[in-house]
Amino acid sequence: MTSVFSVAKPIMEYFLHILVITGIYVILTLSLNLVVGYTGLAALGHAAFSCVGAYTSSLLALKYGLSPWLGLLIGACVAAVLGAVVGAPSLRLKGDYLALATFGLGVIVYSIAKNWVAVTRGPMGLPGIPGFSIFGGEISAVWSYLILVAVFVVLTYLVMHRIVSSPFGRILRAIRDDEIAALAMGKNVNKYKIIVFVVGAFFAGIAGSLYAHYITFIDPSSFTVMESIAILLMVVFGGMGSLGGSFVGAAILVIFPEMLRFLGMPSSVAAPLRQMIYGLLLIVLMLKRPQGVLGTYKWK
Amino acid sequence: MLQQVLINGLISGSIYTLISLGFAIIYRTVRFFHFAHGVVYAGGAYLAYTLVVSFWSLVDSSGSLFLRWCIAVPAVIVCAGAVGVLIDRVVYRPLRKRKAPNLVFLIASFGVFIFIQNLLQLIYGAQMLTLRAGSVKEGHHILGAVITNIQILILVVSCLLFVTLWLFVQKTKLGKAMRAVADDPLAASVVGINPERIILAAFAIGSALAGVAGMLVSLETNIEPTMGMNAILKGIIASIIGGIGSIPGAMFGGIFLGLAENLGIWKISAGWKDCIAFAILIVFLLIRPGGIMNVKTHGERL
Repeated sequence: MTSVFSVAKPIMEYFLHILVITGIYVILTLSLNLVVGYTGLAALGHAAFSCVGAYTSSLLALKYGLSPWLGLLIGACVAAVLGAVVGAPSLRLKGDYLALATFGLGVIVYSIAKNWVAVTRGPMGLPGIPGFSIFGGEISAVWSYLILVAVFVVLTYLVMHRIVSSPFGRILRAIRDDEIAALAMGKNVNKYKIIVFVVGAFFAGIAGSLYAHYITFIDPSSFTVMESIAILLMVVFGGMGSLGGSFVGAAILVIFPEMLRFLGMPSSVAAPLRQMIYGLLLIVLMLKRPQGVLGTYKWK
Repeated sequence: MLQQVLINGLISGSIYTLISLGFAIIYRTVRFFHFAHGVVYAGGAYLAYTLVVSFWSLVDSSGSLFLRWCIAVPAVIVCAGAVGVLIDRVVYRPLRKRKAPNLVFLIASFGVFIFIQNLLQLIYGAQMLTLRAGSVKEGHHILGAVITNIQILILVVSCLLFVTLWLFVQKTKLGKAMRAVADDPLAASVVGINPERIILAAFAIGSALAGVAGMLVSLETNIEPTMGMNAILKGIIASIIGGIGSIPGAMFGGIFLGLAENLGIWKISAGWKDCIAFAILIVFLLIRPGGIMNVKTHGERL
């Protein structure tokens, strides 16, 4: 990684790289916001879905030479199936318990990625994942990848916007605000919850696949439960139930810690310090503005 | 071999018990997942390290180990309790006043967790530290299993603490008040129990237990700043398996989890340990949400 940046145009490359990563997190945050922010389901296992998406499309590309475009789609579909599998039993759980069960899912998926060495190569990870190619040329330059990610961000945003501003989205908010009232209105709450899980997982799968083909290397450590927590924090920071907030949340929480790199501290100090500021930010946010930077939703 | 697996399960189970006991005591009164409990435990281990190793190597490296521990044990208990109370006062109490929903508590708790874990890393570095001095002594052979002195200590201390806590909650006035608040905070305040005082006591006692657990673990294994995460997860799982908020449940859950994990490691492989724990949790959540003790969960929570 460092070698790439130390050659030519290092600052610009680095800047674009951060933007690509931000874009991937925006997709994750938007999709989790649908589940947590709009429907009020405390899901804490989002990294599990992006893990499934990333591994599926990487393995398809590495073992069967499948085009990453197709891999991305299949990866997202497999993640969506997992979303349905998780969503169905999770319907019986609420609040903290749902959070814990989905957290558990995150740990289980991580364990599988780490221990099923025959397929995933475990902690050694999967190196040499091919990138996307278009019109016969591979998308390898950072700027071209940025355009690709931007397209997916816009796509995700449009889908989410369509969902939340439709009557369907209104029912989701009704479930969040008062599930029993929504049931009384004759809405099949369980069906809506499963659809939300599936859609959220699908887009998380896309994000995971984009990440894998961009970095060209994945290992289980990119999909730990701390990653799921980080995505949840982006949702909460930007604002639950606010699509614009998801952009702000992901952008600030990805870019701000990066800026601390330029303060010239040794990494043994900078890394924990960055995390400490992160933690402090969360505490202050919960104390002073729990609806997030752009959120309008009043917590019950 | 089976005996050894059972003994190992019992020992890791008793550590889980200590963490889930503290977690349960706190959960009963506040009704949210105090995630930061895990870093209090890690903090206890690091404070013990400081008081037993770092501090003495500055002053006088020949000081007796017994004397060091005589200072370290009460210091860790008091400091862990104080940190727990501090977290409650600074973070949770303002949220409680605002009647914040559980998710806000949970996220604030993550914030505290991340903050303190990285504070520990900043101070002590990310590498593993060890408290063990000298060579490893061979353990005693009992019933075909090997058990070391430290492991016996862990078992004895956990049993003692469990019994003490049980008697405290059942017999003393403060303990009864804690039960009252756990059952119905409103009714408790009607009969003149100040819930804030009880919550304070719960955080002090629960966090002190976490400190003791951290100290005991530091004798047995290496310590690292990230140790709190695994501990609190296992503590919460043990709590739910046993029946959330129940004190005997915390013990049954802890032992059950320890045994199940070690049997799993023996039969499958060590890498799947966390996976087994969470799989058991999910099965319990779906089939028997009240846990082993079949605790009645409040309708709006589950």
